[in-house]
Amino acid sequence: MDEATIDQVITEDLIVLEEPPANKEDAIEYMLDIAVEAGRVTDREAALEAVLERERQSTTGVGKGIGIPHAKTDAMTEPTVVFTRSTEGIDFDSMDDRPAKLLFLLLVPAEGGEEHLGILSSLSRALMHDEVRENLLTADSSATVKSIIVDALT
Amino acid sequence: MNEVHDSIPQMIQRTVTVVPEEGLHARPASAFVEAANEYEADLQVGPHEEDPVDARSMLGVTSLGAKGGDELVIYADGEDAEAALDALEDVLSTPEDEFDDE
Repeated sequence: MDEATIDQVITEDLIVLEEPPANKEDAIEYMLDIAVEAGRVTDREAALEAVLERERQSTTGVGKGIGIPHAKTDAMTEPTVVFTRSTEGIDFDSMDDRPAKLLFLLLVPAEGGEEHLGILSSLSRALMHDEVRENLLTADSSATVKSIIVDALT
Repeated sequence: MNEVHDSIPQMIQRTVTVVPEEGLHARPASAFVEAANEYEADLQVGPHEEDPVDARSMLGVTSLGAKGGDELVIYADGEDAEAALDALEDVLSTPEDEFDDE
C-alpha cells in the first residue's frame, strides 16, 4: 500500500488510546463511534449490523492478541481503519484463546471491490512481526501508533 | 536400511485452487485453520514461489489475502502429512455456501 492511501485510511483521530469496553460487542460499537465522530460513516446502524453479521460467520479474533472486526458496507464513504487497544485484552473467541489487546476496525465502502481484502491482508502481514505488535502495545501517543502502522504497511 | 529410511518424514506439497468465491476468508479461513490444527505435521501455505505462512495461524492465513480462483501451495512435513494435505485441499475445494454454521 502506498503511504498517501494509508494516510487517508487511518488518520490520527481514528487512533484512540483510551481503554475500550471489556466486552467484544461493546468494544466494536466503541470503535465504530470513533469512525462516526470522524465523519466517516453515513449510517451507523447499517455499519454495525454489517460488522456483527461478519462476526457471526466466524470470529475476527485472528490470534496473537489481535482482533480485526471488519465489513464492506455502503454506510461508508471511504476506507477506514480505527485503532484502539485493551490493556487486559478482550475475549474475541480467538482460536489460540488469547485475549485481543490490539484492535482494528476495518470498514470499506461496498463498491470497494478488492480493497477490502487488500487492506486486511496487508494489516495482517504487518502484524505477524513480533516487533510491530510490541511497539503498538507500548506506543504512548496516536501519532506514534500512526507512524508504526504507516511504516509497517509501506 | 529401509526401516530407517521409512521413518524419516519427508516434506510433501500440493497445489490447490481456492474455490470459495470470496477467497480464503471468514468461514473458509477458519475451517482451514481448524483443520490444520488437527494434524501433527508441520503445515505451511502460500502462493507459488513466495514465503509460506503457518497454516495453523489465522493471522498468517488472513495475511495471504487469497481470492477465489487463486492457487496456493500447501507444504506438509510429518507422519500424517498426506492426510493433512487431503483435509486442507478439501477445505479449499469447498464452495463457500457449503460451509455449515457452527
